[in-house]
This record gives sequence, C-alpha cells and structure tokens, in this order.
Amino acid sequence: MNTIIPHIYYYKLISFLKISCGKNIISVLKNAGTVLVYLFFGFGVYIFTQNTIEYLLEEIKIGSFLLHRFISVILFIFFLAVNVGNTVVSFSTLYKSKEVSFLITKPIEFRHVFFVKFLDNFFHSSTTLLLIIASVLLGYGSYFDMGIDFYLITLFFQIIPFMLTAACLGVILLMIILKLAEKFGVRKILAAISLLYFSSLILFFNVSNPVSLVTEVMKYYPDVDRYFGFLDNSLITLLPNFWISEAMYWVANNNYLKALPYFISQVGVAAFFLFLTIFLAKKWYYKTFVVSSQINFSYWKKEKRSAAILAFGKKSIFKPQLEIIIKKEFWLFFREPSQFLHMIVMLVLIGIFVASISSLDIKLLYAYNTNLRTIIYLIVFLFNVFLIASLALRFVFPLVSLEGQAYWKIRSSPVNSTKLLMTKFFTFLVILLSIGQLINFFSHLKYPFALTLASSINTFFVTVTLVSLNFGMGSLFANFGEKNPIKIASSQGASITFLFTIIYLIFLMIILFFPVHDFFYFSDTTHMAAGKLIQTSLLIGVVALFVMALSLNISSKSLKRDFL
Amino acid sequence: MLRIKNLSKKFGTFTAVDNINLKILKGDLYGFLGENGAGKTTTMKVIAGLYSPTSGKVLIDNIDIQSDPVTAKLNIGYIPDQPFLYDKLTGREFLYFSGGLYNLTRKNINDKIKEVVDILQIGSWIDKKTEEYSQGMKQRITIASAILHDPKLIILDEPMIGLDPQSALIVKNLLRKKASEGAAVFMSTHSLPVAEELCNRIGIIKNGRIIFEDNRDAVEMLKSNINSSFESLFLELTR
Repeated sequence: MNTIIPHIYYYKLISFLKISCGKNIISVLKNAGTVLVYLFFGFGVYIFTQNTIEYLLEEIKIGSFLLHRFISVILFIFFLAVNVGNTVVSFSTLYKSKEVSFLITKPIEFRHVFFVKFLDNFFHSSTTLLLIIASVLLGYGSYFDMGIDFYLITLFFQIIPFMLTAACLGVILLMIILKLAEKFGVRKILAAISLLYFSSLILFFNVSNPVSLVTEVMKYYPDVDRYFGFLDNSLITLLPNFWISEAMYWVANNNYLKALPYFISQVGVAAFFLFLTIFLAKKWYYKTFVVSSQINFSYWKKEKRSAAILAFGKKSIFKPQLEIIIKKEFWLFFREPSQFLHMIVMLVLIGIFVASISSLDIKLLYAYNTNLRTIIYLIVFLFNVFLIASLALRFVFPLVSLEGQAYWKIRSSPVNSTKLLMTKFFTFLVILLSIGQLINFFSHLKYPFALTLASSINTFFVTVTLVSLNFGMGSLFANFGEKNPIKIASSQGASITFLFTIIYLIFLMIILFFPVHDFFYFSDTTHMAAGKLIQTSLLIGVVALFVMALSLNISSKSLKRDFL
Repeated sequence: MLRIKNLSKKFGTFTAVDNINLKILKGDLYGFLGENGAGKTTTMKVIAGLYSPTSGKVLIDNIDIQSDPVTAKLNIGYIPDQPFLYDKLTGREFLYFSGGLYNLTRKNINDKIKEVVDILQIGSWIDKKTEEYSQGMKQRITIASAILHDPKLIILDEPMIGLDPQSALIVKNLLRKKASEGAAVFMSTHSLPVAEELCNRIGIIKNGRIIFEDNRDAVEMLKSNINSSFESLFLELTR
C-alpha cells in the first residue's frame, strides 16, 4: 500500500493547521470573523436562491422545466469556470511551485507527486465554489421541501463528480498543451486551444439557444409546468451540466427512477476522467514538467522588447518615478504567463458572453410582462457586474501582494507610498472602467437609451466600488512572500472579498429592482420612473465613494507596515 | 552622516534591538558584526525605512527617516541580505527602474548604467532577465542599483554572501572607492577577515545591544594586548 501520499498529507495538514489556527488574539478574531462572513454569506445565498425560485415560479410563472434549463446554463458556465480555473492554476501548482521542485528531488514516483498536487489544486480552487453551490442547493431543496437524502445524494453523486470532471479535463488539457508545445511551440498550441474553446462555446449557445427555448415553451403558457424534453437538442443531453439539472428536475417531481441514470452517468464519467488523468500523468507528468521549465527561457525571449512603446529606455511624458512604476507594472504583467494568459482567457469569455447577449432585444423585453422584463434586465446587469467583479478579484486583489519580496527596493527608495498606491490603483481602475463600459455598451445595444445611460452610470460606480474593495482587501491581506497571483486571488482574504462582492451584488439587485420595474411599468418617458433611477444611481455612487475612501485608507496603512 | 539615537525595535514581547546609539561619519567604512539573530538586519532595516522603530531616532544627514522619509531616503543606497529582484525584468530594466525611483534623468541613468556595469563586471548579463541570474549576479545588480544615484550612505547587509572570490574582490574595491570618495558605508558581515581587511571602524551587537564599538586601531591594540586573532577576540566578546 502506498504510504507516501498520506505521509505528505499528514504534514501538509499540520502545516495548514498551524498557519490557520494561530494562538494570538488577532489570529483568533480574524478566523472567527472569517467563519462569520462565510456563514452570513451562505445564509444570504440560501435566502436569495429560495426567493428567486419562488419569484420565478410563482410570480413570473416560467414553469419548472424552464427553471431547470436555466440551472443547466448556469451550471455550464460554472463547469467552464472550474475547468479554465484548474487549467490555469494547475500550471502554477503542478509545475511551478517550490513544493513540486522539492518533492521531485525525493525518491517519490512522479504520479504520486502529481496526485498530491492535483488534489491540492482541486480543494484549493473549489472550496469557495462548493460553498456557493451548497448554499444554492439548500435554497433549492428548501423551496421544493426536499429531505436530507436529496442534499447528500446531489452533493456527492452530482456536484462533486461534476466538479471533478471539470478539474480532470483542465489538467489533461494542460498536459496536452505542454506535450504539444514541445513539438509545435506554445503560441500555436495556445491559439489552437483558444479556438477550440471559442468554437465549443459558440456551438453550445447555438445548440442550446436559451432565447428560442423560452419562446417555444412560452407558446404553451400557462401550461408551462409540463416536461418539454422534446425541445432539447440531443447534443445538450450529453453534457454533465444537463445531467444535474435533469436529475434535480425529476427528483423535484418525486421521480427518482428517472433521475437514476443521470446520477450513474455523472459518477461514471468523473471516475473515468480521474483514472484517465492519473494514467496520463504516469506517462506525461515528468516529461511535461521538464518542458515547463524550458518554456520560460525559450518562448518568452522572442518578445520584441526594443519595439515596445513602453520600453524602459524610451522617453515618456511622465515624471521618472511615475513612469517607471507604470512601466514596471506593465512588463511584470505581460511577462508573467499566468497573468496575461488568464487575462486573455477571461476577456475571450467576456467577449463571447457579451456577443451572445447583445442580440437580446425587444422580443424578450417587450413580449411578456413587466416582471419578466425587469428580471431579464437585472440578470444581464448582474452578469456584467459579475464579470467586472471576477476581473477585479483576479487582477486587482493581488496587486499589493505582487510587489513581492522585491518591494524592499521601493520601500527603501525616496518614493511616497501614497503616490505608489494611487498610481497602481488608478492605472487598474481606468482599465477596468473601460472594460466595464464596453461590456455595458454592447450588452445594452437594444435597450431604451435612458436605461442604457443609467446602466452606464451604475456600471461606472460599481466598477469603482469593486476595484476599491479588491484593492483595499488585497492590501489588508497582502502576502509579499507569495509569487503566484492565482494563489493570491484564491487565498482566504480573496475568498472573503468574493463573499463581500456577492453581498454587494445582492444589495444592487435589491435597490435596482423597484426603479427598473417602475421604469418598465410606467414606460421610459415618465419623469417619476427616471427620477427613481437617478436616485438609485446616486445611492450606488455614494457607496462607491465610501468604499474607495475606506479602501485607500486601509491600503495606505498597509503599505506603511513593517516590511518583514 | 548616520546618527542612531536610543533606537529600540520590538516584535511583540521580543526585543530585537535594545536602545542602541551609533554615529557614522563621511568616509567611514563601518563593520557591523554579531551572531545570527543579534539584531544586525533589524537595525539595518530600520535605517533603510523598512521597519519603523519602537522608540528612538535614525537621522540620515540630519534628516529623521520617520518624519521625512522621502528626503532621508534620497541619501541612502540599501543592499539587503537577500537580493530579491523583479524576476521578469532584465538587469538593465531593473537599473532604469531603480534610477527612476530617485528621479534620475534618462541620460544620467544611461551614463551610470555604463559605469556600474563596467565596475561590477556585469557584461552581457545586463540584458538578461534576472530570473536567469546566479546568486552572485543578482547581488551585483542589487549593488549596482544601490549606487546608481551616488548615495551619501551605503547600507549593506551581508554583501559577501554567495559571491565568488572574483566578485567579492570587485565589491570590496568598490566599497573602498566609495568610502574614499566621501560616502559612509555601513556593512554587516559574518566574515571577520572581510571586516578586518576593509573596515576602519567596528561595532559588535549581541542580543540587540552594542557590546563593542571602536576604531580599527583600538581593535588592533586589543588583539595585541591579549595576543590573539580577531576571531578569538570576537568569540571572547560575544561569549
């Protein structure tokens, strides 16, 4: 029996407990605060899910079938998030971590090193997502009055295998990228993989076509609680996200027998991919490990440094201190594969999302009742904000930590820390504001002008809030010893920030609901409805200013702390 | 050039530096010695502005590092014990970055880079990313970045660690040159021969307190009095 893996995990557990269970009062308070935030968040998601389902089924009356198809689409996005997340994070944990460099020099089989780090990666990147899913599941189960068996079966035989499949596929993909990169070069392989992802996403949205599905089902209104499986495309029924939603649909209708094949498929596929991952790791892990260490020196050297506008040697209009801080940020970002590759992946996903909803027009906004229009508007806005929040968490939260151990250079130099802070903050704020406005513009192409304008103003303030929140929290939880931006963006501090973000999103939904509802109800020409929209924007603006002031204050204090 | 008044630094209940006083003049090459954990690095980090003191003052050219850090730091060149650099920048880019922090003009930086590359014999490594550097080359770039702006006070924390004999000789010659030009050099080291060879003043710290502080002649006299080597004298003092 293999004893190496339990042995390594025993010491990892001890190390983890010692780090997270500090005995001093600040550490205890911090941990207690974290648990409270998680509990509060979990409860919030539970209530939100329950009320949303109740609203969709009892107020808007979309029917159980459509509800589960919406769940399927959300799960598809969730699957992609876990999959892409694992592909990117695996590169750091499986190939670039100091722990791997240490373990690989010891008499341990490579597949065991792989397995330890794979599990590490899975738990590390999936814990927060699992908490969200568990809270959603509780909200769902409570609405449909499910027993404890539903939660256990769904969690262990649907959700966890589903996430495991996504993670395995991510790691397999990474090994294939590195394996092929040896022969064809990283650029070509990454371009091919991106194209593959892009095509499959387009294919999914074309095949599933949620807009057309809603239209088709609504033709049967009010008889929308029937099973409309005949409207599903057969390709969609082969996907794991469909199996979850389908199983939930049948369980909610007390038909466990019809749900059974989906449970078996989910577990079977996850087991298959887990074994395939381990099998491939046995053959490829060490070879790809060697390739990964060569990539740094062969691929990135091709950059045409002299031609770059932001080359250090070129003149600029800024003062030297400001200039070099901006240039340093730029080059460190674009020379770190995990930074700019992740950014490209996220921007491509955003592009696909925006392209797919930009055609959402009057057909849906005006065909049905005011409540449905309001919900559709809020969902689109929520997704936009969520995209900005994801970018902020991934790229703004790690900003202060990424000054890294080389921060001694700035700290011992005649640089005003407030100036450094402002330069970093506003550089990324401007970038995210631009992205936010672009997302808003393209996702509101066929909306009334007043509503588009209100969304644009709200998106501006929301971006300021989210960038500030992530910057402030990133400073508060700064870890100069961690070089990996992905690990920083999925640390304990980042998880708390994410939970605050979700709470903020719920707050936005609550304060926007009635003004938007009134806007649709009274039509866009009514001054009263427009006035309510302006009042709401002002409230969002005040919150943004408050969060920005608080965050900059926290960051300023954080940068003046002893640099250990 | 450097004046330390009643400086103390505590981490929780642990006192790392305990009420020390020091004065280093222009042209001094001051060797700061002590066992591991004696408080050398903590003292240097307070001087460089990386730590704030629990009590006491650090004056650089009569400017308090705490009350006017930006002006005080204009006069410092700091070389830490671990030469952490930005991995993804080349040596040249790191030097541009360092020069910019001191608001040096581009022309000035270009001239200085030529000069320090030559003095420290960095050669073609200057255009390679620092992640490819050996420990010694990282140390040379760190030293280059610290002298780019001609600081009045150079603070070096264990500068000889990881250096091969050629590199060590280059650094020693550089420090002598800087001191002869009027800069004050404050250097911590574990290498007693280096301190003996290079420094005109020696200070020894133990458990956060200065236990010995005098010039080179006094050290020589003590050695001859007890008819012993510098190593034996150091071991005796720190026992």
